[in-house]
Order: sequence, then structure tokens, then C-alpha cells
Amino acid sequence: MSTTYDQLVGIVKTLHNAPAELFAPEATFAQLDVDSLTLVEISMRIERDLGVTIADNELQEDLTLDATAQLIDSKLAQ
Amino acid sequence: MPSLSPTSPSVLPSAARQGRAAVLCGLAGWVPPRVVTNEELSRRLDTSDAWIRTRTGIGQRHFVEPGQATSDVAVEAGRLALRSAGTDAVDAVVVATTTPDRPCPATAPVVAARLGLDGAAAFDISAVCTGFVYGLASAAGLIAAGVAGRVLLIGADTYSSIVDPDDRTNAIIFGDGAGAVVLRAGGPEEPGAVGHFDLGSDGANEEMIMVAAGGSRQRTSPGEASREERHFSMRGKEVFRHAVTRMTASARNTLALADHKAEDVDHFVPHQANLRILRSVAENLGLPMDHCVSNVESVGNTGAASIPLALADAAARGAIRPGDNVLLTAFGGGLTWGSCFLTWPALAQPGLPHDQGEELAS
Repeated sequence: MSTTYDQLVGIVKTLHNAPAELFAPEATFAQLDVDSLTLVEISMRIERDLGVTIADNELQEDLTLDATAQLIDSKLAQ
Repeated sequence: MPSLSPTSPSVLPSAARQGRAAVLCGLAGWVPPRVVTNEELSRRLDTSDAWIRTRTGIGQRHFVEPGQATSDVAVEAGRLALRSAGTDAVDAVVVATTTPDRPCPATAPVVAARLGLDGAAAFDISAVCTGFVYGLASAAGLIAAGVAGRVLLIGADTYSSIVDPDDRTNAIIFGDGAGAVVLRAGGPEEPGAVGHFDLGSDGANEEMIMVAAGGSRQRTSPGEASREERHFSMRGKEVFRHAVTRMTASARNTLALADHKAEDVDHFVPHQANLRILRSVAENLGLPMDHCVSNVESVGNTGAASIPLALADAAARGAIRPGDNVLLTAFGGGLTWGSCFLTWPALAQPGLPHDQGEELAS
């Protein structure tokens, strides 16, 4: 079974071209060169595929992939 | 949701449509000759061609010359559309625009006069980037009600007149231009009959896309308007989310009303806001990108002109053919959104909007 982190990375890779070696739990969206509109696209895809609503101000460019996965998990647990 | 759902009792299903319909019989686009490339913008703004292309899909846009107004581009597109329809007489001229020549009066009467359409009914539609789809519904209504037998509908905008040239966020997106169609009275089953429609609005979010100053709210308030208030502003992230959500829902509503499925759509022609919005909406609808008509690369976001300009461009290239199913979907300030389904008619093939721009410049 894929983890939330894996699903998140899958979504980001679909919407954003970045070198594969940059994808790591501690990488921030800024380090992956993800801009603010792509963050909106990512949050809408998370909403559609994982059923979790994330507000625009929750997904910031300085957030790491790991922290984002934890944010999704905490919402899934609610 | 304030949008009419396909089950709303006020919207008639296919079987109930009868009598007179508005049929598309002429089409043309026109952009001013002056091309503004990403490279030109990057000389005075902190941006680059690569940055703009990656984020918006836009490569260049056209701007009017100093002193030129929306009516000037509207007249060019209107004249070409009348020629395409093979007519020099209409009963009504409707101009969809966010950048009228003046706050008062409307731009349509002067456009009608300059086209020699003396005495025709003439008025503007103000629905920002959804203006063309709202205009189509209004023109269809004039024809269905027997008020007009033939209508010239022009979507025309000169965003260069309201966007602050130093506003890096918006200056890269918008361009000037006009697209026009001629509609005639006909039957609802004819190719080119416009409709079904889905139209909606959400005024609670009016501040998401606006020019704050220049209207009664500001003019009756004390103090001078700031530079920022006098120019176009847009809250990009929120607009992106709303645009994708509303355009997807509106397209689905219209397909349901027309009793069609997404796979029946040969050409999806969305408002050319930004390539990434178009991609997201097409993907939500399950439409392959090669069914999505886009000319945003060459003209940018041209407001109310964008859908007819994209149609004229696709028709000129022979990409849209008679009998093809076409779905138009727009989203804009208001907020407003709307969609229209039609089967493409046989039309005189229009010239490429930018080729005509160059031709007229020489």
C-alpha cells in the first residue's frame, strides 16, 4: 500500500517537472521550484484524489514534502 | 451553488426546445498589429521569456497604439465578421467588453455607427471574461423573442488600457483584440444553432478580479483613488481555483443539458486565461489536450475577445470543421461563468486574426 508521502510525490510529479533526485521528505516546495499557482493545482489534486481539503494558505512554498504528507494524514484522521 | 443545475425547472431540456433559434453565420477575429513579446516585457520587468512561458503558456500579445480604444478593435473584427456572413445589415449590435471607450455611453452604438449599421439596437454586455458567452445568450434571446433577425456580437477588450504596465503579475498575461460573430434567425436543429447554455455568477467574490476605482463606489467616496485602485487587480491563486472549479462544473452542466457526453466534444474552446487553467479543466472533463483549442501562446488573455479569437484562429487553420461538436466555456470577474454547446456550421473561412493585423498595418 502506498503511503501518503508516495501519493503526494506522485501528484507533484504529475503537475511539476523537477529532477527526480530533488524529491526527498525534507525538500520544500521552494527547493523543487514549485510556484504558487502549481501549489493551488497540487492542493486541488489532493482534494480530488485523497478527499482532503487544503486551504491556499496551508500549502506554502517553505513547507517540506514530509510536513505536507503529515498535514494530509492529520486531516484524514479527523 | 448559485449556478443553474441541469435539473433546474427553469432550464428546458433538449426536447422542449423549439421554434426560432440563433444560428452562427459569420466569424472573424482581429488583433492590433503591435506585437509585444515576452522578451520585450523582460527588458522593463523582472521576468523572462522562460518564466512567462512555463507559468502561463503565453509567448506574445498584441497591444493597441496610444490613443486607440476598444471601439477601434471592435470595428475591425465586426467589419470582417459581417463580410464573413455576407451581409451588411443587422438589427442589433452587442459588444461584450470590460474596457469600454468611456464609462458612459456604451461602446456598441459608436461601433454600429462606424460600421454603417445606422439605427440598429446597440448595447454593451459587462461580464468580464465571460462576456462573449453572456453575449451569445443575449443575442440568442433577441433572436428567439423575435426582437432581431440578425445580430452582430463582438467581444472586444483593450486590457493594456487598465493593466498597470509595471504590474509584473498582470502585465505578462493580458493582450488586446476583438472577435466577432454574426447570428441569424434559424431553427434549433440547424448546424450553428447556439445553445444549450449554462450561465452563473458569484458576486460575493467580486473583489477577486476588479478595477476598484472609476465607478460610483469610488466616485462618491472622499479622497483620490490610488494608482493601484485605478488599475486592474486579480488575486491569482484564488482565481485559479475558482476558474478551474466553475469552468469544469459549467461545462458539465451544459453537456448534460445538450444530452451529450465529454467524449462527444470535438473541440473544447475555453476562455484563454492561461494554459495551466485550460489543462486542468480539460483534464477534469476527461478531454485530451488535442481537443482543447488554444491560441493563448500568440495573443495572451484577451478578455471577452478570447473565445471568438480562438474560434477564428481554429477555423482559419481548418481545425474546426462543419458538423464538429463545439463546447465554449468561460470564467471571469464578477465572478461570472458560462458555457454554450453548438454544432459547427459551414462558414466562409476567416483569415488568421494576426495575419489581418499585419496586413492592415502595412
